[in-house]
Amino acid sequence: MAAESHRPLHPGQAQERRLKPAPPADRRTLIRRATFDLTGLPPAPEEIDAFLADPSPRAFETLVERLLASRHYGERWGRHWLDVVRYADTSGCSADFPVPEAFRYRNYVIDAFNRDKPYDRFLREQIAGDLLPHASESEKVERLIATGYIAISRRFGTTPENYLHLTIEDTIENLGRALLGLGLGCARCHDHKFDPIPTEDYYALYGIFRSTRYSWGGYDNGPRRRDLVPLIPQEEADALRKEFEERKSVLEKELERVSGELKAARKEAPSAAAAKRAKELEAAVADAKQAHDRFVRNPPLIESAYAVAEGKAQEARVHVRGDPNKLGPEVPRGFLQVLGGPGVPAKARGSGRLELAEWLTDPRNPLTARVMVNRLWQHHFGKGLVATPNDFGRQGLPPTHPELLDYLAERFVEQGWSIKAMHRLIMNSSTYRLSGRDLPENLEVDPENALLWKFSRRRLDAEAVRDAILAASGELDRTMGGAHPFPPQSTWAFVQERPFAAAYETRRRSVYVMQPRIKMHPFFQILDGADPRSSTGARLVGHTPLQALFFMNDPFVHEQADRFADRLMGARPEPGGRVKLAFLLALGRPPRPEEERAALTHVREAQRDLKELPMPEERRLQLAWASLARALLSSHEFIFIE
Amino acid sequence: MAGRGEPGFTRRGALRSLLGGSLLLPGVLTELLAADEDRRTPADPLRPKAPHFPARAKRVILLFMTGGVSHVDSFDFKPKLFADDGKSLGSVHPQGGKAPRTLMGPSWGFKRWGKSGLEVSDLFQNVARCADDLCVIRSLKTDHANHFEATLGMHSGSVTVARPSIGSWVSYGLGSFNRNMPSFILIAPELPYAGGLVSSSDFLPGDHRGTRVDPAAEPIPNMTRRLESPGLQERELGLVEAFNREYLRLRPGDGALGARLRSFESAFGMQREAPEVFDLTQESDATLRLYGLQRGSTKGFGWQCLVARRLAERGVRFIELVDVGADSNHNWDTHYDMARYGDLARNVDLPIAALLRDLKSRGMLEETLVVWTTEFGRTPFKETPDGKGRDHHPACFSSWLAGGGVKGGLAYGSTDEYGMQIAEAQVHVHDFHATILHLLGLDHTRLTYRYSGRDFRLTDVAGKVVGALLA
Repeated sequence: MAAESHRPLHPGQAQERRLKPAPPADRRTLIRRATFDLTGLPPAPEEIDAFLADPSPRAFETLVERLLASRHYGERWGRHWLDVVRYADTSGCSADFPVPEAFRYRNYVIDAFNRDKPYDRFLREQIAGDLLPHASESEKVERLIATGYIAISRRFGTTPENYLHLTIEDTIENLGRALLGLGLGCARCHDHKFDPIPTEDYYALYGIFRSTRYSWGGYDNGPRRRDLVPLIPQEEADALRKEFEERKSVLEKELERVSGELKAARKEAPSAAAAKRAKELEAAVADAKQAHDRFVRNPPLIESAYAVAEGKAQEARVHVRGDPNKLGPEVPRGFLQVLGGPGVPAKARGSGRLELAEWLTDPRNPLTARVMVNRLWQHHFGKGLVATPNDFGRQGLPPTHPELLDYLAERFVEQGWSIKAMHRLIMNSSTYRLSGRDLPENLEVDPENALLWKFSRRRLDAEAVRDAILAASGELDRTMGGAHPFPPQSTWAFVQERPFAAAYETRRRSVYVMQPRIKMHPFFQILDGADPRSSTGARLVGHTPLQALFFMNDPFVHEQADRFADRLMGARPEPGGRVKLAFLLALGRPPRPEEERAALTHVREAQRDLKELPMPEERRLQLAWASLARALLSSHEFIFIE
Repeated sequence: MAGRGEPGFTRRGALRSLLGGSLLLPGVLTELLAADEDRRTPADPLRPKAPHFPARAKRVILLFMTGGVSHVDSFDFKPKLFADDGKSLGSVHPQGGKAPRTLMGPSWGFKRWGKSGLEVSDLFQNVARCADDLCVIRSLKTDHANHFEATLGMHSGSVTVARPSIGSWVSYGLGSFNRNMPSFILIAPELPYAGGLVSSSDFLPGDHRGTRVDPAAEPIPNMTRRLESPGLQERELGLVEAFNREYLRLRPGDGALGARLRSFESAFGMQREAPEVFDLTQESDATLRLYGLQRGSTKGFGWQCLVARRLAERGVRFIELVDVGADSNHNWDTHYDMARYGDLARNVDLPIAALLRDLKSRGMLEETLVVWTTEFGRTPFKETPDGKGRDHHPACFSSWLAGGGVKGGLAYGSTDEYGMQIAEAQVHVHDFHATILHLLGLDHTRLTYRYSGRDFRLTDVAGKVVGALLA
C-alpha cells in the first residue's frame, strides 16, 4: 500500500505528453485542502499546528485517517450523495407538503458514510432494505429507513396518487442517473434515442415499482397522509391505529345520530317546541362535528419512516407514448437488457426490488462501481474522469482517463466496496498532493488541466461556505440535526395556490438545513446549491454579483461577522493578536507583515468612519473588527481551496 | 442620472475618499488606482466590444413562455384544423405509433390584423394590435420532446449536455454598457424546466452568467446596503479588493479569480443603481395602466415587462423574462385542458403589447430585439381521445421577433394543413439563434470560445441566418 500510494494515480498520460507536474503542495495548503475535502469544514488552528509539527514522513496519511474517523466526514460525503438522490424535506407536489420523516433517511445516509458501509450494501438497503434479513430490531429499523431513497421520489399535482406514473418515472430516472449514470426517463415514451434502452426495459423496471407501495405525504385540502412505514413493532402500531379508528367511528356515529334527529325534528309540524328542539339539535350537530373533526385531524403519532413496502406484485403494461391511459403489451418485470439484465425470476414472490438490488450490485454489472468511483474522484479533484457524472451514455462525455477509471472501479470492488479505502487510495497519491501552481509551459498545452499536472483550484460549495463562516465566528452548532420545526399537522392547509414554504434558521451544519423541493432556500440558490427537483451530479459554480451582495449585505454574514468580532476581542487583548487570530480562523494562516499592518489600519480607520454615528464606543469597536472579519470572509482565499 | 449607460460611479473617487489620507496596503493602492486607468483592458471580459459588422439591434429582450405554447392556438392559423375538429387520423404522429389520433380545433378564432393582415389568435388580441411590428416564424423546429432538453436547446443550442446560454454568448460577444448592472439578467418568479442551466455561462467566463431577479420585496437579494456608514463599506470593499488583487497577482492564470473580483465591483454598482431600477414609483399612472399594473404591485408579467424596459434603458445587454404561467402551478404545458390558455394568455398579452408600444414610443424598439418564444409546440390532435389537451410537439412551432432590424408584419415559413409538420422554410433552433446573433452584428460562425481543445459556438456546427426576416 505504502509503495503504491505515492505512485501517480494517472498511469502514463502526463508522462506521455511530457508534462512536468507542479511541485507538491506545502503542508498548510494540504491540511486545508484535505480537511475541507473530507469534512467540509476548515481545519482548526490547533489542528494545523499539530500537522505542521508532526515530524513523521507519514504525517499526511495520519491526517487522512483522523479526518476519515471524524463524524463530520459523513456530513460532508453524505451531502454529496443527497445531491445525487435529489433529497428534499418536502414532497414536491403542487402544495409541496412537508415530509417530517424525511430527515431519518438523511441521517441514515450520513451514518452510512461515517460507518463506511460497503457501497453495495448501502445500495441494497436503499432499494430493498425492507426485504433484507436483519440481525436486530435496530438493524431492521435502519433498513426500513434506507428505503426512503425510493420514497423521496417526487410527488406531482394536487392529488399525487393520480400521478403515480410520474412519481415512478422520477424513481426510475433517478435510479438510472444516480446508480448507473444512465438517463432512463426517455424510454417512458419511446426507445431511448441515444442509448440502447428500449421502452420494454423501462416498463420492466416500472412493474417493479408498480408492485411497491410508496408512502404518501399529503394532498391539497387536507393532510391525508398514508402508508408511512411504522418503526415500532407492527402490533403496537396496529393497536394504536385500531384505538384511533374505534374512537373515530364512535364520533362518526354520534354525528350521524344527532344529524338524523335534527333532520327528523325539521320534518315535524311547525311549533314553538319543535323550533326550540331543532335549535338545540343544531348546536348538538355543530358540537359533534367539531369533536369529530378535531379528533380526526390528530391521528396517533406513530414513529414512522417515509419509506416503501411491498405492494401487490404485478407486471406493467407499456404506456403507449407515455400515456398511462393508453396501455400496450404487458412486459415482464426485469432489468436492463443491454447490461445483461435478466428478468425477475418467476419464483420471486415480491415486487422484484430485492432481485433488482442484487443485480445492480453484482460485481459483474459494469456501471455501478465505475459511476461511484467517478463521483469520488470528482469530489476530490473538482471534475470527474467522466465529466458528466450522471451520464455515462452516448449523450455524456467520454472518460479522459479510461484505464484509470477501470483501475479504480476494480480496486473498489476488490476492497469490498469500501468508500474510505478509495479516499485513502486517492488522497495518498502524489497527484492529490500536487500544488495548484501554474506552470506556463503546461498552461499552453493543457489549460484545463485535463492531464492533472496540478491541483485545480476550486470554490467552496454552498454548504462549505456557510459552515466555514459559522466555524470562523465560533457559532457552529456541531450537534447532529434531527427533525425540522414544521408546523403541527393539524394546521396543514396547504394547497397549490398557497403551497408550504419556509426557511428555518439554525446554527447547525448546512446539511441539516430544511430543504424544500420547490422553492429553494435563498442561500442555496445564491451559492449554487443542489436543485432538489432532479439529480445534481455536479454543482454549477459561478461568481455572480448576487454572491458578492451576499457577503456585503446579507444579515447572516453581518451577524456572524459580529460574533467573529466578539470572539477576537474576547480571546486576545491586543490588536495584533486579534489580527493574527482572525487570519488563522478564516484562512488557516497567520498574516504577512504588510497584511497585518493593513488590517490594523483598517480597524483604526473604521472606528473613525463610525465617529459620526451615534452608538456606544463598544459597538463602534465591535463593528470595526466585524468589518475586518467580513473582509476576510469575502476574500478569494477564504472561498477557494487549492 | 448617475451611472446610466456609462460607469457613472467612479471607483477612483471612492478609493480616494476611502483612503482619506491614510494608507491602505502601501503599494497595492497604487496598483488599485493604476488598475482604474485600464479598467477596460482586454483582461476585462465585460468591456464593450465592437460587433463583427454593423448591428441592427443593441440588446435583446427575450420573452420565454415556459411549457410549450401551442402554435395552432396562437400564431399558426390552420382553417382546416377548425373544419376537421373531431376527425380521426391514422398513425400520423411524427413519433410513430399506431393509435388513431383525434384532431382538435382551437377554441379561439383568428383575425387578420394591421396593414399586413397578419393572422393572430384571439388569445393575443393586444399583441395582435402590434401585428405590423411582428415577424412571425411558423416553421421552427427543435430536437427534443422533453421540457428539460427542449428548454436547454432553446437557451443553449444543446439538448444534451449543458452549454453557455444565448444570453451569456451575447454578453461575451458584445460586453456590457453599464458596469453597475449585470450584462445578462433573467427575471423569473420561478426557473423554467432546465433550472439554473438557462442562465449558465458554462465554460465562458463567469462574468457572463445570467443574474436572476425575482419579483419579490427585494428583487435582487441583499441589494440594500446594511452597514450604516457608506464610508466604512467602501473602505471594507477596498480591503477586500486589495486582498483579492494580491491573491490574483500570484495566480495570474485563473480566470475565475478575475471574474469574482469584478463581481464585487458589479455588486457595488448594483447596490447603488438597482434599488432605483426596481422602484416604479416614478412611472406615470398612464404607463402603469398600459402594462396593466396596480401601483405598488410586483405581481404578474406586467411587472416583469416594465422592469425589462427600465433595464433596457440602463444598458443591460440581454434581458430574459420567464413566464411561468398565470399561477405557479400551470404553465403552457396543457396536457389535459386547453381552456387554461385563456388565463395564461390574459396574463401576458397586455403586458407584452405594452412593452412593444412603450419601447416604440420611446424610440427604443428599433435598437431592441424582442423575441417571443417557447420550448416546443403542441400536437394539433388531442393527447387522449376523450381528453381536452395537447401533447408536446417538437416537429414544428411558432415564435416571433420584433424591433431591431426585423421585417414587421411578416409571417415566415409554413406548416402543413393541420400544423403537424413543416411545409416550407424550416427554421431550426440553430437558425433562429444564428439570426438573433446576426441582428446584433455577430456572425455566429465567428462567435467562438476555445475550450477543452476545440472552438465552441452557440450554433454548434449548424445554423443559417434567415435572410428573409431582416428588414
